[in-house]
Amino acid sequence: MTIAALLSAIQAWPISAALRGETAGTEWLFPIVETLHVMALTLVFGSIAMLDLRLLGIASRNVPVSRLSREVLPWTWSAWGAAAVFGTLMFMAKAETYAGNLQFRLKFVCMGLAALNMLIFNFGAYRRVARWDSDDPPMSAKLAGALSLSLWIGVVFFGRWVGFTT
Amino acid sequence: MFRPFADWLANTALSKVLQDQAWVVPTSQSIHIIAVSIVFGSACMINLRLLGMGRSGRSVSQLSTTLVPWMWRGLAVLLFTGLVQTITEPVRQFVTPMFWAKMLMIVIVTSMTAVYVKAVRRNAPLWDAASTRPVHARVFATMSTLLWLAIIVCGRFIGYTWSFYA
Repeated sequence: MTIAALLSAIQAWPISAALRGETAGTEWLFPIVETLHVMALTLVFGSIAMLDLRLLGIASRNVPVSRLSREVLPWTWSAWGAAAVFGTLMFMAKAETYAGNLQFRLKFVCMGLAALNMLIFNFGAYRRVARWDSDDPPMSAKLAGALSLSLWIGVVFFGRWVGFTT
Repeated sequence: MFRPFADWLANTALSKVLQDQAWVVPTSQSIHIIAVSIVFGSACMINLRLLGMGRSGRSVSQLSTTLVPWMWRGLAVLLFTGLVQTITEPVRQFVTPMFWAKMLMIVIVTSMTAVYVKAVRRNAPLWDAASTRPVHARVFATMSTLLWLAIIVCGRFIGYTWSFYA
């Protein structure tokens, strides 16, 4: 099955039609799913931004980085899971349109780079966190924080622009 | 009642300049989402701590001292970007009850937060210890979280409801 055929098949599912509001009584389904997506993404961005700003040495400097991570990352991951579920539902409504949309693609490029940045940080500077936990983070950690913040801002921007270009 | 004012505002030179720039509203909305993430994320952290959750070991007063200034900064950005969107598309905002419900709830939650901050500043030890924390701390935390969620819902639904009233 080619990707084009898969996208067209997804779009033909009854649930996708309901998400487009084409089934009786589903007119408000997409707005509700989108609102839940927005709620989840505010928690993803809000929590990750706290950690990024700590890595940059801008905020929460009185808290060790490892403790702040343990505090906020469970929320980041849970909220990300919720955002992904609602985002997938939104995608199903117009799979072909979204897949071909430039802003939609750029959003996922940003998210992929954010994931890569997180992996590099986790296996790099964060392995030696005990040495700088309560201090000003080293340059590599600051770079990771700045990259993460910029990439997640990119995710939010491109995500919002998808709504204006599809 | 507000329709004549909205029509007048939409015809001002400033509104017309903004309307002519297609990037203004999407950009302003994207920044608005970033700012609401900071505000709502911070509010959730404080509220969860007041409800007895949270793992950082940071006290209620420490969390408030760190996060409340970020909430005020975020609110300033929300006010500015909201104003840009209102000047550009006044009719869209003023005709729907969602907009007015949102404004009312923002006034309530902002006043509540200001009162809370003052109370914590006046007697931090009282709020920090779970045994002495006033019962209304839980009421505040629950109400604040629900109000912010409702504000997000109304904000998103302005875009989905205004055309019914215009």
